[in-house]
Amino acid sequence: MSDFNFRSDGIDVEQIMRQIRARIREKRGVDYTEQQIRELATAKLERFLDPDGVRSDLLERYRQHRITSASRPPSYAFEDTTLFESDKPLVRFLRRLLRPILKMLFNYNALNHVLHTQASINHHWLQVQATRDEHELLAYEVMHNLVLETTRLGIDVKNMKMRVESIASRLEFNERRARALEAVVQYRPDADAQRPAPDTEPAGGIDPITGGESLRTRRRRRRRGRRGPGTAVGNSTGVPPATAPEARGGFAQAPLPEDRPASGAGPAAQAAAPPPADRHDSGSEPSDQ
Amino acid sequence: MKLGIVVQRYGAGINGGAELHARYIAERLARHHEVEVLTTCARDYVTWGNELPAGVEDVRGVPVRRFPVAHERNARTFGLRSEHVFRKTHSLQDELSWLDSEGPATPALVRHLERHRAGFDYFIFFSYRYYHSYHGIRRVPSQSILVPTAERDPAVGLALFPPVLRGARAIMFNSLEEQRMLQHVAGTGRTPSVVVGVGSEVPERVQPGRFRQRFGIDAPFVVYIGRIDENKGCNELFDYFQRYARVVPARLDLLLIGKSILPIPDHPRIHHLGFLEDEDKFDALGAAEALIMPSYFESLSMVALEAWALGKPVLANGRCDVLKGQAIRSNAALYYESFPEFAEALQAIVSSQSLKRALGQNGQLYFRQHYAWPVIEGKYLEMLDRLGRAPAGVHGVEPLPGYFARRRRVLPPAEDVLAAVPAGAVAGV
Repeated sequence: MSDFNFRSDGIDVEQIMRQIRARIREKRGVDYTEQQIRELATAKLERFLDPDGVRSDLLERYRQHRITSASRPPSYAFEDTTLFESDKPLVRFLRRLLRPILKMLFNYNALNHVLHTQASINHHWLQVQATRDEHELLAYEVMHNLVLETTRLGIDVKNMKMRVESIASRLEFNERRARALEAVVQYRPDADAQRPAPDTEPAGGIDPITGGESLRTRRRRRRRGRRGPGTAVGNSTGVPPATAPEARGGFAQAPLPEDRPASGAGPAAQAAAPPPADRHDSGSEPSDQ
Repeated sequence: MKLGIVVQRYGAGINGGAELHARYIAERLARHHEVEVLTTCARDYVTWGNELPAGVEDVRGVPVRRFPVAHERNARTFGLRSEHVFRKTHSLQDELSWLDSEGPATPALVRHLERHRAGFDYFIFFSYRYYHSYHGIRRVPSQSILVPTAERDPAVGLALFPPVLRGARAIMFNSLEEQRMLQHVAGTGRTPSVVVGVGSEVPERVQPGRFRQRFGIDAPFVVYIGRIDENKGCNELFDYFQRYARVVPARLDLLLIGKSILPIPDHPRIHHLGFLEDEDKFDALGAAEALIMPSYFESLSMVALEAWALGKPVLANGRCDVLKGQAIRSNAALYYESFPEFAEALQAIVSSQSLKRALGQNGQLYFRQHYAWPVIEGKYLEMLDRLGRAPAGVHGVEPLPGYFARRRRVLPPAEDVLAAVPAGAVAGV
């Protein structure tokens, strides 16, 4: 927490909380709850169906369609006797009695046939329409879920990108740190004293630009590696093999300055990758106040 | 001047927030005036069973008169009535039934107040939401001083309380947030009031080393002190701390002090010590890196004040208006509203000595300025003096509506009323 260094008279809790929130946003992207993702997805779906979008009136059609479906007229059946039916027996009898006279005036069988066929067509189309309704509901649901998942994936991708960036920067930092530590070891006076023979390479093979090892040093180390560990008297750091690990360990455990974790990442960011063991330096501090 | 302290439970071993608050105030005011505590025979706030003997006894130098509770709380009935009045359109009679089932129903205490009102100058009622305050203030309005200890819970939205809140002679608020909330729901703006809170019996010196040795605690730790209950936000605390422990490998333990009514997670970095005596509690606070207050509902967190008195920073739940307001006004606490904020804020406190020190110093200053006993006592005495100088005149509580009006189902759900109350911390003092 290198950015937190305070005096009691100059402290502003709201300011600190703003910093913390900014840090969280910076490291993890924006965190969304399930509800927020749904709201976002809904908003996107609305945008997608907006008149300015792909289909000008898709959403409106969906809505209208639902209204139409709800207020669909009832179907009817039409048989050859339908025209002459009545709930009053006397009327029914008279109609049957006068039917031959009616037949002389016009062919009501053709009318019966047409209306019967129309009733069948109506029934068929109602069935088709009902199936379409179901399909459209499914399609709407699928589309909604797709948008929801796309939103979620979009957020995940953004978060992943930020995490990758964070990890890359930490990796770079660690590489630089490792190079710097190796360089410090090479400069140790006692290490110089133990060095078996002065090498021709200047100043321990430190690259003046990167601060790391020079190309020659790395080549020499690779050659030693191929020969095996037992063949070399010392190593490139100038420390005998038996003492080198302790020396390295000494650097790794070197105390960090107060208020400064080893890496810049906070715990919220560490969910992505385990942090180095020394990033939380309060453990060694006395807690009795 | 003779003062009556009226509270739902009272005793040296009763450590509920409002009850401890009442005891501290009674003991402090007893140094200046004659004080008698009027309370129930209950010890358990869930059942209100009569566990203590009725009659008069002496508790730490203050006479305490106990009255039996007429009936224990039926949890099922209370739950059903709560559901009804909090979430559905209901009648005033429903709310009165709810109050009766909430308890502690002590008609004997209320009768005593009415009969012996002449023997007292003022009655200080604690906790607006209980039977004794509602019926007590209705009986003796011109002598009543109310310490509401109101939290932002649905009971605030019930229609039966505003007349009583307006009818009290004076109100002693615990926080600015509580004052704003009750002014909004009850229109208490014209009632004499003051934001006062309560002090604490914090020892001069604490012994963190003794605590660590006694309980075998070596690692640095943060501490939660209070009832370990879902309503106090403990489940969320467990979840957040376990997630924090997964991502931050450095050793930091969580110590839980208090009676638990929740299963404690089996985690190597979470330790439950149970209920501790005050000495151990303060030593634990002294040894802690910080105090965590995960509660959503607080009218005043006494343990946070105690932490500040000892120079310890606090990490509070920012969704509790009172805690957030105190954090901002004191500049002595960080707050969180999500896991990332919890983790970052906790990490900021435990990893930055300068931040921890600065928050602790601010806390000590805030406690000294607002919650030291001379300040608290001064505010109470000043209010008593103010009321004494201004005669009560015609003072009373609005009468209850008639039989049929009480039964008319026209009251909105209490949760809806509460939702309309302004939320958030009050920034300025």
